[in-house]
Amino acid sequence: MHRIWDHGGTLTVRDLFEGLREERNIAYTTVMSTMDNLYRKGWLARERDGKAYRYTAVATREEYSARLMREAMTEAGDTEAVLSHFVAQMDGSESEALRAVLARLAGGRP
Amino acid sequence: MITALALLGYAAGAAWFAPALLAPLTHRGVSVRAGLAAWLAAMASVLASVALAIGLSFRTIAADWPGLTQALCRSVAGSACTPEVYGSVLYQAGVLVLAGSLTLAGALAAWRYGRRVRRSRAQTRSHARAALLVGHAIGGQDRTVMLDDPRPAAYCVAGRPAAIVVTSGALAVLDQSQLKAVLAHESAHLAHGHHTLATVTRGLAAAFPGVPLFTRGAEEVARLTEMAADDSAARTNGRPALVAALIAIATGAAVASGGLPGGAFPDPGMPRGAMAAAARAVPERVERLLRPSSPARSTAVTAALSLALAVLAAAPTALTLFLAG
Repeated sequence: MHRIWDHGGTLTVRDLFEGLREERNIAYTTVMSTMDNLYRKGWLARERDGKAYRYTAVATREEYSARLMREAMTEAGDTEAVLSHFVAQMDGSESEALRAVLARLAGGRP
Repeated sequence: MITALALLGYAAGAAWFAPALLAPLTHRGVSVRAGLAAWLAAMASVLASVALAIGLSFRTIAADWPGLTQALCRSVAGSACTPEVYGSVLYQAGVLVLAGSLTLAGALAAWRYGRRVRRSRAQTRSHARAALLVGHAIGGQDRTVMLDDPRPAAYCVAGRPAAIVVTSGALAVLDQSQLKAVLAHESAHLAHGHHTLATVTRGLAAAFPGVPLFTRGAEEVARLTEMAADDSAARTNGRPALVAALIAIATGAAVASGGLPGGAFPDPGMPRGAMAAAARAVPERVERLLRPSSPARSTAVTAALSLALAVLAAAPTALTLFLAG
């Protein structure tokens, strides 16, 4: 997926396979089935070009990233995905409460 | 029939009043494990009582349907209840409608729960899969990725495989040790199966909207799992790094570990989604990390919660045995 984004244009399985083979030992069929999977999941679009398919990313990495962040930061209830946030941004009154706690701790320390 | 009614009465009482008893004991996270156990026992106890009551009613109905309809009729209408009345098709139909609607209510709750859990699981998995594809791997681990976004945030998503996501905005305000503390916190969620607790409790809250034990319970369980993950991260990475990371992400400004800010916090000034209330308990989480409660207080709270747990766990069986025997 990263390679298709970095490449920017359309790629055939053969193109991607040639690129990947330079860095690691990988089977042509693995690349083909991975791309077919991504196509079926809606990440890639493809059109027939002779005997092969030419694949294009459906959206840019930035668009997908924005979509994920929207889902992650959305109003609780809009998304049903179970995400465990480390901590949420505070509003004014919560900042006030935190400041009070820190002041109390600083004052109360022996 | 008395036993079934007593069980229903107990279930209703516990569903409405147990939160008032448990919340003060668990809210500050003095005893995280005992707190989680007590909330889950309360939910299981109420569900088991209702299931027992339904089972007992069906048994009674099957054993003596004519006698039961007569008794019901007399208790409502008194001497006006003649054989013509309780023998009538209309009356019989009325009782059947009542029993049917109770069963339907139960089935509706089960259906809501199932739908909620299925959707939640599907969305969670697809989010995790997408995050792993879109994000840039960081931290030398396949499952930890960075997404480009100026808003500081870090979260984990259970899935197959699970993912931990940190935004570029968060990386900008965290130093190396603080980032490690954040990742330890998220790994603890995944390692201890906190997402399963969240899925189940949120499913129950969706199945029984407006019932305090389940709505409040889901919030408190989420809050307690945050504190449990805080404890894990503090054990491995130290409290100062974790506290600094909490404050840095919550305020959007870098904080040095150990040196706590005394002045005003910058206002992040960003629209913040209404994330789970648990992720918001910043003052409480910071306070319990910096000043753990005294051993005496921990022991007292743990004892009180264990007692509550024992009562809740024993109640359905005890009621059934006592009244039926």
